[in-house]
Amino acid sequence: MLTVHSFLVTVWFLLLGVILALYVILDGFTIGVGMLSLFSPTEERRSVLIATLGSVWDANETWLILLGGALFGAFPVVYGLILHALYIPLSLLLFALIIRAASFEFREHAHNKKGWNLGFSGASALIALSQGLILGDLIHGLPLRHGHYIGGTWGWIHPFSLAVAVGVLAGYGLLGATYLVLRTEDPIQGRARIASYWLAGVTFVVALLVTVWTPLSYPRIAHEWFGPRFWLFVWLPLIAVGAFALLIRSLRRGHEALPFVATVIIFLASFGGLATSLYPDIVPPSLTLKEAASGSLTLVFMLTGIGILLPIMLVYNGYQYLVFRGKVRIGESAYSHE
Amino acid sequence: MNALILSRIQFALTAMFHILWPVLTIGLSIFLVILEALWIRTGRDDYYRHARFWSKLFILNFGIGVASGVPLEFEFGANWSHFSTVAGDFFGNILGFEGAMAFMLEAGFLGLMLFGWRRLNPKIHLFATTMVALGASLSAFWIMVANSWMQTPAGGYFARGHFVITNYLAAIFNPDTLWSVTHMWVACLETSLLVIAGLSAWFIRRGRAKEFFLVSLRLALITALVVAPTQIWLGDGSGRTVFRYQPAKGAAIEGHWTTNAPGHGAAWALVAWPDQSAQRNLWAIKIPHALSLLATHRWNGRVVGLRRFPRADQPPLLPLLFYAFRIMVAIGFIVLGLALWSAWLWWRHELVPERVGHHRRWLTAWILALPLGYVAVECGWIVREVGRQPWIIYGIMRTAQGVSKIPTGDVLFSSLGYIILYSLLVTAFVVFFRRIMRQGPDLTLTPPPLHPPVPFALDAQAKPHALEDD
Repeated sequence: MLTVHSFLVTVWFLLLGVILALYVILDGFTIGVGMLSLFSPTEERRSVLIATLGSVWDANETWLILLGGALFGAFPVVYGLILHALYIPLSLLLFALIIRAASFEFREHAHNKKGWNLGFSGASALIALSQGLILGDLIHGLPLRHGHYIGGTWGWIHPFSLAVAVGVLAGYGLLGATYLVLRTEDPIQGRARIASYWLAGVTFVVALLVTVWTPLSYPRIAHEWFGPRFWLFVWLPLIAVGAFALLIRSLRRGHEALPFVATVIIFLASFGGLATSLYPDIVPPSLTLKEAASGSLTLVFMLTGIGILLPIMLVYNGYQYLVFRGKVRIGESAYSHE
Repeated sequence: MNALILSRIQFALTAMFHILWPVLTIGLSIFLVILEALWIRTGRDDYYRHARFWSKLFILNFGIGVASGVPLEFEFGANWSHFSTVAGDFFGNILGFEGAMAFMLEAGFLGLMLFGWRRLNPKIHLFATTMVALGASLSAFWIMVANSWMQTPAGGYFARGHFVITNYLAAIFNPDTLWSVTHMWVACLETSLLVIAGLSAWFIRRGRAKEFFLVSLRLALITALVVAPTQIWLGDGSGRTVFRYQPAKGAAIEGHWTTNAPGHGAAWALVAWPDQSAQRNLWAIKIPHALSLLATHRWNGRVVGLRRFPRADQPPLLPLLFYAFRIMVAIGFIVLGLALWSAWLWWRHELVPERVGHHRRWLTAWILALPLGYVAVECGWIVREVGRQPWIIYGIMRTAQGVSKIPTGDVLFSSLGYIILYSLLVTAFVVFFRRIMRQGPDLTLTPPPLHPPVPFALDAQAKPHALEDD
């Protein structure tokens, strides 16, 4: 019975990982395009950027809602702990999500779009920033006593979480820029290409910094990395470096889809590194997966409900991308290319 | 002010604000499915134009629903982490289902519905709209399952501060579920039809696109004739469930203090002023036997009085409960009256383009009734949630035990943030809503061909530009 339960717990850890990865990549490029839209020189060109998101932004954000619900059901203790420990950055994230949704919808109606444009880009940046701070603090570890968080209101802000936040900002920006290379034509595509180089540089430097910093200041992670599973971990940075090289090369050679693919690989490699470093803890340093999980019955029931639906969700989300694939051109707004 | 009170205020505020939008999303999406199906069946361009006009309101409303709904899911973990930990095995699971079955379905087809008019075969477009409507209604189902389980928990046991689920069917279909799911869903239809009828009446009364809006007004009226009596019946069933499973709540709603003796009916207070400190009504106008009839459907049925429960187990804010309930019920009957009045006019052949404009009082009545659905929904939720107090899981866990240990300042920060942002959302909604109404429907819009040459319009590159003429 114990082994069946452990198996279910691991399955749910993986499933949550898949949902989180889908969210990070899909909303990541949405956030990235949102941040980049601040720098559009004309309203016409900004409309193109926003039109590339029109049909999909809501579905992309919904992966976060699904993640929240699945985490709540599968690991209620984690859900309760993380959300209340990270109350302030979480509130900032939620405020930003509200502003982004409102700006996106209202921008279409407004005659004077300035405020909404600023709201959309600013909120996108705030989403990236708050998610980076949350991630950074989770790697840093939540101080607990008797299962209660004791880190205080400002415990989430420290040099490490700030460094991770810069990385997430640049990384989402990179996803957005390479997505624009895929979905737009010159002159927008040219600018997105230049932005991709810069953002790739920043992302690379921060990723390197975080990768070196993590084992140096967190012995438990160093222990994981340089322990018996070393050969498992060593591949991930190699894949990431390879993907960075592929990214630069494909940008240089004028490829349109490959830069985005390379960026996705970078994200997946970092993500894989993170997940394997945490496992079998879920809230480092003191809460293991098994302690935090729901009972076997819940995990099985959720698996039949959510696990089986996941491929179907991927199909209809994919169909939506298929229908709206292709370049968005200047002069087309989200509504004119219906 | 402490974190508990503030967290309660924040949850009440965000939930009461959020619920305003999905009620219209649910009803309006079904209305859009009907309009689109009528268009495909009859080939009449007007139905297409209707679908396009009402979908403008749909998008505006949907956007705010999404924006205001996101925080709710996360508030459980942030502000009510103890409740989340205790109930997560079931409650969290159900919220996960809501995300997977409802929100994702809605969002996954929304883009196709909004932007796919010329990229998709009309039948596939109708399918997309149907999936959006289904997703919206499923979200109502799952959230009511979660909430009704807090009202009448079932399907497992509590051990070592944790709910252990043993029977999913019993937990999902707990005693309150079916009544509350249907009552809420029908409330969404009723609210939406009041909005559709009210706006249509407004256009007709001003003589704008009379013939056009008579179509939507009639559709709303047909729905009203079915929905209004159904809702009253469902409300009655809901009420009886409350008296059976949450007697303190039932007694509090009705200002009923002492249990009636056997052989004597309980009287129903039409109006009263319940006073908690005195544990009695300061004054009341009562109808003999009526409460027994309402609560048990028997002349002398036994209705437990509120004094049977210790003060600590009684719901707070009794006058609020008492009057919120009465306002909701009154609205139910007002809508029924309006529906019957309309049926009478229809019967007399008055609802035709040449004559409908003469019935100005009747049109005004529908315009004034536009917000009533929202009022009733808010009142209903106040009764449901304030009446559940002092419990977060009825009879098992107190609200005060469910709250997170967070500094008051943190909760104040988030509450103020929501208040500011939600005020902004409402302001923007009003501005853009007025703009959409001032523009009115586009009566010259040409629909895409009903039978396009390529059945699956996946050739996205070529099609839209060839057809991009409107």
